[in-house]
Amino acid sequence: VEVSSEGERRDRFEALVADVHEPLQRYIRRRVAADEASDVLSDVLLTMWRRLDDVPEGAVMPWSYGVARRTLSNHRRAASRHLKLVERLETERSPVVDDDPAGLLEDPELAEALAGLPAADQEILRLWAWEQLEPREIALSLGSTANAVSLRLSRARKKLADAMTRQDPTSPGHIGDETAEENRR
Amino acid sequence: MTDQLRERLARLDPMHPGVDTEPPSRELLEGIMSTPVIEQPETGPEQKSNRWLVGIAAAAALVLAIGGVIALTGGGTDPVASGPPLELTAGGVDLTAMCMVFSVEELAKAPLAFEGTATSVEGDIVTLTVDQWFKGGDAGEVILNAPQGMEALIASIPFETGGQYLITAYDGNVNYCGFSGESTPELRAAYEQAFGA
Repeated sequence: VEVSSEGERRDRFEALVADVHEPLQRYIRRRVAADEASDVLSDVLLTMWRRLDDVPEGAVMPWSYGVARRTLSNHRRAASRHLKLVERLETERSPVVDDDPAGLLEDPELAEALAGLPAADQEILRLWAWEQLEPREIALSLGSTANAVSLRLSRARKKLADAMTRQDPTSPGHIGDETAEENRR
Repeated sequence: MTDQLRERLARLDPMHPGVDTEPPSRELLEGIMSTPVIEQPETGPEQKSNRWLVGIAAAAALVLAIGGVIALTGGGTDPVASGPPLELTAGGVDLTAMCMVFSVEELAKAPLAFEGTATSVEGDIVTLTVDQWFKGGDAGEVILNAPQGMEALIASIPFETGGQYLITAYDGNVNYCGFSGESTPELRAAYEQAFGA
């Protein structure tokens, strides 16, 4: 058990918050409405304060996302009890699409294809493209293994490509054709 | 190495780096850092009662407490819950004043303690039927509610219809800060020890 002075603990927490507050805020606001996001973020920070001694060196951000994921899950459970079934279904169907980012207007096909994937596939693609995590980091935040995440990511990409192809049969495999070789610089 | 799909997906990001974020308020951070750190039981790296801990965290983060008036009637000694409903409402009590490090000794000081089953969870109103009074009451039913702006307190304990909860209150203030929560074997053991049930 680590023994540290009150002041030292505060300093460590402040330094941690300086590093993780912005990415955590983005993570949360990507997943819940703005009015709920600040409550969730406060809860996440408090959990981090209580578990300051558990923060793993070298994997601070994936660990923080893991805390945020569990906190979000608790909030959703609490919130879902307050919603009628129909409202809940609507909420689950379109968590972030209503936020209307610029890219949504430019790339409605991809947005639609993403929204049509199973939730777990959507989430792994978001962690990869929005949080910009590598499979090893995604695994840390989900409590999985890098191999399993790589496999899931690869499947999710395939499903996304298939969904795009179904939308527009004239450009088959439009986003599925790329290979590591083509993209290597 | 770049990845076209990753870049294309990134452009859908509603919180892309061009979107401003807000820095944490000093008030919030001070509130959090004045929260005592509850000693964790040795359960390894995974917290087995994480849900409950997050609930406590939510309450303390707000530095608020449920308060209000308890309509206690007739001091019957009958341990069977039989009195009229007891209502606890949210108030503006400073949680830091009551947010002590958890111990059975502190718990034992609570003048009001009971175990109840949530019979309805509607918005910010939670109704519990009392299964057992450990101390200080005789109501058969307890209603917890929170006025606007303090709903998160109710949400801080993951109330679900049918769930069983252990609740303590001081002078009408439900102590959400670690002393009340889901009825886990650990918390129940602490209640039994504190109140000699």
